[in-house]
Amino acid sequence: MAKNAKKPASARKGSARRPAKSGNKRNTRSGARRWFSWRFIAKVSVVLLVLAAAGLAYLDAYVRDRFDSHVWQLPARVYARPVELYPGRVLARNDMLKMLELMRYRRAGGAPTPGSYTTDGNTLVIHTRGFRDSDGGEPAQRIRVTLGGGQVRALSSNDGDSLARLEPLQIGSIHPGHTEDRVFVPLDRVPPLLVQMLLATEDRDFYEHHGVSPRGLARAMVANVKAGALVQGGSTLTQQLVKNFWLTQDRTLARKLVEMPMAVLLELHYSKEQILEAYLNEVYLGQDGKRAIHGMGLGAQFYFGRPLEELEPHQLATLVALLKGPSYYDPRRNPERSLARRNTVLKVALEEGALSDQEYRRFRERDLEVVPRGASPLYAFPAFIDLVRRQLARDYPADVLGEEGLRIHSTLDVLAQLASEKALSEHLNSLDASGDALNGAVVVVAPAQGDVLALVGSRESRAQGFNRALDATRPMGSLVKPVVMLTALQQPKRYSLATPVADEPITVPLTTGKKWTPQNFDGESKGPIPLVDALAYSRNQATVRLGMELGPDAVVRTLSQLGVKKTIPAYPSILLGSIGMTPFEVAMLYQPLATGGFATPLRSITDVLDKEGEPLARYPVDTEEVIDSGPAYLIQWGMQQVIEKGTARSARSVLPPDLKVAGKTGTSDEYRDAWFAGFSGNHLSVVWVGRDNNENARVTGSSGALPVWSRLMAGLPQTSLSQVPPPGVEKVWMDPSGEKTSGKGCSGAREYPMLEASIPDQSDGCGSATQVKEGVVEWFKGWFD
Amino acid sequence: MVQGLVRLTLLAVLVLSGCAVTPPAEKTEPVTADTELRGSPAMALLSRAEQARAQGQTGAASRYLERALTMAPNSSWLYRELALLRLEEGDGHAAEGFAQRALRLAPDNDDYRAELWELVAAARAEQGDRSGADEARARAQALRKPDRA
Repeated sequence: MAKNAKKPASARKGSARRPAKSGNKRNTRSGARRWFSWRFIAKVSVVLLVLAAAGLAYLDAYVRDRFDSHVWQLPARVYARPVELYPGRVLARNDMLKMLELMRYRRAGGAPTPGSYTTDGNTLVIHTRGFRDSDGGEPAQRIRVTLGGGQVRALSSNDGDSLARLEPLQIGSIHPGHTEDRVFVPLDRVPPLLVQMLLATEDRDFYEHHGVSPRGLARAMVANVKAGALVQGGSTLTQQLVKNFWLTQDRTLARKLVEMPMAVLLELHYSKEQILEAYLNEVYLGQDGKRAIHGMGLGAQFYFGRPLEELEPHQLATLVALLKGPSYYDPRRNPERSLARRNTVLKVALEEGALSDQEYRRFRERDLEVVPRGASPLYAFPAFIDLVRRQLARDYPADVLGEEGLRIHSTLDVLAQLASEKALSEHLNSLDASGDALNGAVVVVAPAQGDVLALVGSRESRAQGFNRALDATRPMGSLVKPVVMLTALQQPKRYSLATPVADEPITVPLTTGKKWTPQNFDGESKGPIPLVDALAYSRNQATVRLGMELGPDAVVRTLSQLGVKKTIPAYPSILLGSIGMTPFEVAMLYQPLATGGFATPLRSITDVLDKEGEPLARYPVDTEEVIDSGPAYLIQWGMQQVIEKGTARSARSVLPPDLKVAGKTGTSDEYRDAWFAGFSGNHLSVVWVGRDNNENARVTGSSGALPVWSRLMAGLPQTSLSQVPPPGVEKVWMDPSGEKTSGKGCSGAREYPMLEASIPDQSDGCGSATQVKEGVVEWFKGWFD
Repeated sequence: MVQGLVRLTLLAVLVLSGCAVTPPAEKTEPVTADTELRGSPAMALLSRAEQARAQGQTGAASRYLERALTMAPNSSWLYRELALLRLEEGDGHAAEGFAQRALRLAPDNDDYRAELWELVAAARAEQGDRSGADEARARAQALRKPDRA
């Protein structure tokens, strides 16, 4: 590296001097060559002076160049979606408090400062932290939120509007290629007390010296002589900065020798404020696995979970205490040492007049109050961050992500994420207590805007590693059935939900010469059943018969209509879901089904802002109508029957009774994969459960995946799917054959939503008069039913 | 039955107190942001979006509208606003999609629906889809009352 190549410049200087001195001694001993010796010394001196001057000039250029062009390693930071508060928003009081705890708001009477709150029964006064967003963001302000009945009842804020946002929670950072992490804090936002403590303990003469402090050095020398080794640096802050910035960490004399002139040069060119700011943001404060914690801003987050500006004196003192040895005084690993050193710092602050006597006594009684390491939401959601990283990598080169301090506003909903993780791990723990056989993945999407709200890639959601949500490509099984049915429903002259389909044995000759004889899950054949029942009860033989009638290529076309990009061969086996898909791809496929026919690309990012909070890029919602409203409504209705009476009816006992949801179970051959994909009006969730080695997992869609889905959905604020048929769709009573209209109450008659083109002219002659179009009369009648 | 009686009483009270209780099939009232979003917190975001758009800050306007949609997901008006915004940004594809979504959720009001079809037409034209634009315009024409067309 460049910096190592530069060091010899001064080392040479140092080593050249010593032979000169010893040469002098030698000459004295010989006596005869004194004249030559003096000349030699003079020559050497000139050479040395020139060398020194050149060295200094070189160092000078080097210091300036590196300081001016220094690029802070500021990784891109990823934030969850801000918590939006408005009357009517579904939000339980417990969830609200959970969010405040995650965001490290502290409870304080009157909520005096940003990042604090107070409760009074169901009313919370929250002093929010301000933040920037592409719409300008929010100022820090005191808001009053009243909760009740599981939702926000009232809200008042400074600007008079009854809505407000809490700042987005940081959930990760992206630093490719290096492992330095920091949160840059400009000097004017550094608490003055921190600076006072820092100078009092590390460099008393900071504002007086010119980079090197002879007094400090003398003190260190005494200490070193006493110890018989280099134990103390006596370095000024400037020297420490030089050391951190340009030099390696080893304590060699050569380094010491070059450090001093560099410190002096630095002071010549830059103000004390510039040096101090650089120091505060550069200083190394600890290690988090591979991640090196640099600077006070990140230190505050890493140890206290809060912005630096919000720290109290005893916490600032703990950070200053770390400077003497981040590992030795680590407040988590060595709390006694850290506490003792912290109190020393507080004492010094008292002596310097930075703290009053009363403050000193109060703060030295406080605990260290560091946050436990695992409790931080930072790096808590590796699977989702992985998705963000992949989406970002398409638009930003690695160095930009590593250095420019971009702020990535993501779509993650922390509460949905936590609910997903909990639902998956609890169910898998109940199925497989040993924890080594089954694994799973969850994707939760807000279908209207395509926002990915949650992503779980493993039952151990904190674990880095195989991201099953994005990378486990598994046969989708019966999840394909809605696509087969939709293919039929898009041909309303031939098919409706009532069309009889034969659930009977079928043998399909394959191009390989082999024959395929699909079986039903229960080994039985039901005979002719309405198309919707083939979906609701997931009948394989009926689906294959229908699919062969339509042609597998027609089903492939529907898949591509729904947004599937990859090439899918039109084999008959695709009719039962031999297609490999990841849970994320399934979510993409089901998204248009959930929105009534509008495809919207899934996004994990809404905005990218620069480190000052200025908007750089938006990832706006895009949308396209891919399925007409009629068939889209019919397939949704069909998928609701899966839950009302079909293979997923067990979900009904978990979900709120009046909530209208739709979905589909999926089980692949030999119980290798259990799937459930389904949606309400505002959430689409996909769950996969199986084994990584692709062995028999002994789970079905209903037993392995559906319980996770139901519990997860029950834990989120839901809206029902719309039950209003679009223009061109009518509710019609059909006779059991599915080929004639009938009437309410007639034997075997069932009501289906039908496209006008599907409604047969023929009636079975029973009760057809009951078919009255909705209108004003009906509306009034509805009041009395 | 008891519920029916309660409702009947309620209805009577409403009628007697002079409240306008009209069946949902009211066709004459023009569709506005107010008819769609009255009382919703989304209203505040909509007006901020309008301000931002007037100042040429389409990114901010877009963010406001997307936030508003999470509060009022079934508002045709918000989709219409997004369609107009995307059209202004030159994204005809998204503009068409949003206009179609606005149509799906549109109240039963021919003038409003015609206006949305015009928007679809403009979005298609923006994408260079002439025949599609003509078709959408024809649908708009068909919806307009003869005296206005």
